[in-house]
Amino acid sequence: MSLAPPSLSVRPLLRGRAGFLALVLVYALLVAACLGTLAREGELSLGRSPIANLMKTAGEFARPSVLDVWFGNPNLEYRSDDGTLLRVENRQAVERAWLEGLGRATWTTIRIATLGSLLGALLALPLAVLTARNLAAPRPLAWGAKAVLDTSRSIHTLVFGLVLVGIVGLGPTAGILAIGLHSTGTYGKLFAEAIESLDMAAIEAVRSVGAGPAQVFFNAVWPTVLPQFVSSHLYIWEFNIRDSTILGLIGAGGLGLLITEATALFQWGRLATVLIVIVVMVSGFDAISRRIRQALA
Amino acid sequence: MSACIDLYDVRCTLAGRTVLDIERLVVGEGERIAIVGHNGAGKSTLLRVLSGFTRPTAGQVSVLGLRLDASLPPARLRALRREAGQVLQGLHLVPRLSALENVLIGSLGRVTGWRSWVRRYPAHEYERARAALGTVGMLDQASMRTDGLSGGERQKVAIARLLVQGPRLILADEPTAALDPSAAQEICRVLCTATAGATLVSVVHNTALLPRLADRVIGLRQGQVVFDLAQSQVDAAQLAALYLGPSIAAHDRADAHLKRRQLPCLQPDAPAG
Repeated sequence: MSLAPPSLSVRPLLRGRAGFLALVLVYALLVAACLGTLAREGELSLGRSPIANLMKTAGEFARPSVLDVWFGNPNLEYRSDDGTLLRVENRQAVERAWLEGLGRATWTTIRIATLGSLLGALLALPLAVLTARNLAAPRPLAWGAKAVLDTSRSIHTLVFGLVLVGIVGLGPTAGILAIGLHSTGTYGKLFAEAIESLDMAAIEAVRSVGAGPAQVFFNAVWPTVLPQFVSSHLYIWEFNIRDSTILGLIGAGGLGLLITEATALFQWGRLATVLIVIVVMVSGFDAISRRIRQALA
Repeated sequence: MSACIDLYDVRCTLAGRTVLDIERLVVGEGERIAIVGHNGAGKSTLLRVLSGFTRPTAGQVSVLGLRLDASLPPARLRALRREAGQVLQGLHLVPRLSALENVLIGSLGRVTGWRSWVRRYPAHEYERARAALGTVGMLDQASMRTDGLSGGERQKVAIARLLVQGPRLILADEPTAALDPSAAQEICRVLCTATAGATLVSVVHNTALLPRLADRVIGLRQGQVVFDLAQSQVDAAQLAALYLGPSIAAHDRADAHLKRRQLPCLQPDAPAG
């Protein structure tokens, strides 16, 4: 009788064509169950007039507020119903001031992502060393570190943010800590994989000429692991730039604040401007980081 | 000091199986030894014992006048490794470093402290490394990363590193494995020039290279020395017996042509070096 727990070995069940077919069937059943139950609960509706709403929203999105800086009415008059002039507004000046705010918010978002990523990387480094299998850290320590990494990876940035806003108050600090705590899990996993992929032959090559431990570290381990660390760091940093745009939603500073504001006031033109900034920023950073990562590979 | 290597009653047991069992093996200073035998005969284990990477289960090992046992301090072992260079099957380089930097690793025994940590070697070590790359004909690829080099080129880089290291004893584990015949000949030639004057112990699979690499041939089977002869005394029958076992060698006379094809150096018309 085998000592291995039978529940852990799904492999023999999934072998061959019949196994794969069974897998597809299970998946199809799951999808059908999701769709079916939602439909029976009446939750699959698209609202009362989806097409009209879509056209309206699209129309407003098509005119981003940034255009008002040049084409806005410099002398917009607000009147009450009986025709009394309430106030006059220079749309161009208003939008220019709002754009300045947008610039500041973008900078805040970048700062949150940058510092949060650095914090996550620093927190993850010792945990990754503990969890890397080839370094064989004491078992309880390795399990503990792995548990910390798994926990931090499975709690979403927004959840961390909500809790931290309650602790450190509104503002970018909560955002930085939230990004850092959540990305620790991802960093830890990638760093540990980099350490695990270490080439033992390279280490032995340096040892075989009579090099001491420090020389082995700096000549074999460091040159192999460092580029991979930098590459993972850029990758998660890039991801965090995307992630931190949403943090303002919960009051943790940055572009998210402007998104909440715009959606709450139905200013789709302004939301369009924010989204343009996000797309440009994210794809710009993406392009730079991809280049650097390719150069390091 | 006469003996470069002296093994006395050395036994290595791995997971209950004896992989090496040598009663006595003495190699003199400046000798050129080849170790032959089929896979798992204990050849690589023997080399690892000599470089101190594997500790024998029992027996006495002394290399370059130094007794390798549990009480040997790590610093002394490192000092020994500086004197005992190794060429292993071509994968023994740091893949992310350039060929030149890999060759400079050979000088780590002489360069110490922060310089060896940031890979800032003194100018004369650079010159030496470039000269070594020139000797093996790899100067044009000096700045290429070694994971972009071919198997033969990597092996040349490893030999250049050996030149920079300048050891008295060289342990070569199948230096021509995974190389095509012409590259194998080339590597052998380079290895022979690089190791002139030093004691050379090499594990050889391609018996065609025996005349180039060795004066003395040691046959291993199941960890034991089967024969220990001068290179000129080794013939096809002995090698066939070693690789195929005595009974098969005796019975399979019909396959003689096949064996001859496997051992081209032992044909009368083969170009022996």
